[in-house]
Amino acid sequence: MFEFLNQAETIKIIVIVGSMALFFVGLFGLLTQKHLIKIFISIAIMETSLFLLFIGLTFKKDFIAPILTNGQTTFSNMNDPIPHAMILTAIVIGMAVLALGVSFAIEYYKLTGKTNIDEMTEMRH
Amino acid sequence: MSLKRELPTSTMSGFALSGILVLTILNILLQNSWHVGTRAGDELLKLNATEGVANAVTTVVVYFRGFDTLGEIAVLFIASLGIGLMLHSNTQCEIKAESNFMLKTASKMLFPIIMLFGIYVMVYGHLSPGGGFQGGVIIASGVLLLLISDKSFEVPHAMIVALETFAGVSYVLIGLIGLLVIDKFLGNFLPHDISEMGLLFSGGIIPIIYIIVGIKVGSEMSLIVQNLIKRCENV
Repeated sequence: MFEFLNQAETIKIIVIVGSMALFFVGLFGLLTQKHLIKIFISIAIMETSLFLLFIGLTFKKDFIAPILTNGQTTFSNMNDPIPHAMILTAIVIGMAVLALGVSFAIEYYKLTGKTNIDEMTEMRH
Repeated sequence: MSLKRELPTSTMSGFALSGILVLTILNILLQNSWHVGTRAGDELLKLNATEGVANAVTTVVVYFRGFDTLGEIAVLFIASLGIGLMLHSNTQCEIKAESNFMLKTASKMLFPIIMLFGIYVMVYGHLSPGGGFQGGVIIASGVLLLLISDKSFEVPHAMIVALETFAGVSYVLIGLIGLLVIDKFLGNFLPHDISEMGLLFSGGIIPIIYIIVGIKVGSEMSLIVQNLIKRCENV
């Protein structure tokens, strides 16, 4: 009954639509929330959707992860290793940016006692 | 006044515009991702067979894109430096929350196992899923466990500085030695025989570079975690 879920094209549609849904969840949070930390978490959710999209788009049926295991000797029938490496880079950079942003938010709260972005009026004349 | 509020025209047109955009992006993604002809990864997989490393992702990260990984480590270092400048102060920093008995006992049992697992993931990065970044983050999570269980624990700053400097300098030095020996920055100058594929000592410089990356990521992440979790009374 659920065999259609095992088709490569169905999985690809699920990956694309699901990662787009996750992206818009993050975008909604980014546009509606006023708390600084919640805004950074929304940006992290949007990043995660892009990681899932990149990895999901390189999926091929009957292809395995690009690692030799269980007595294999050749690199045949393997998935593309480039998106994995790119996403590894992107995860680390995203983590660094998130940590830096959160530290800015902590320091701003220590200096002013405010977390709401509507109350940021220090630069306004 | 009726209960049903009328939506203004600008809101309606905004909804319509975003709907059209969503449909367009979805259409582009669904149409263009199907027929992937030849992939660049196939060529890299062929090249990877000559390097004697079982994990192709490791080869791409550390060898084919080794210069990018050097830049990525520089980005991580700059982020760690910014967090240290922003949050660190000379006054006494401490964690406000109290830890309980169970956390203290369990952290003593768990910390060596977490460290061992992190070093395993780091050292076997060229044979199995894992590598320097993952192992470094696992080690930083062990340091986080120590930080939340023991209030007087502090990451030894001199050791972190020494490890980080050693890792960064030796990464560049290995690249320069490769430039001298086989005319290529980060060239694989150590013996890497294909018959040794799958053994621990295989792949030439690739596992060494990934261990160096792991040391650097682990020390930087430990400092970031300590700076984020401790509150300083400097106001």
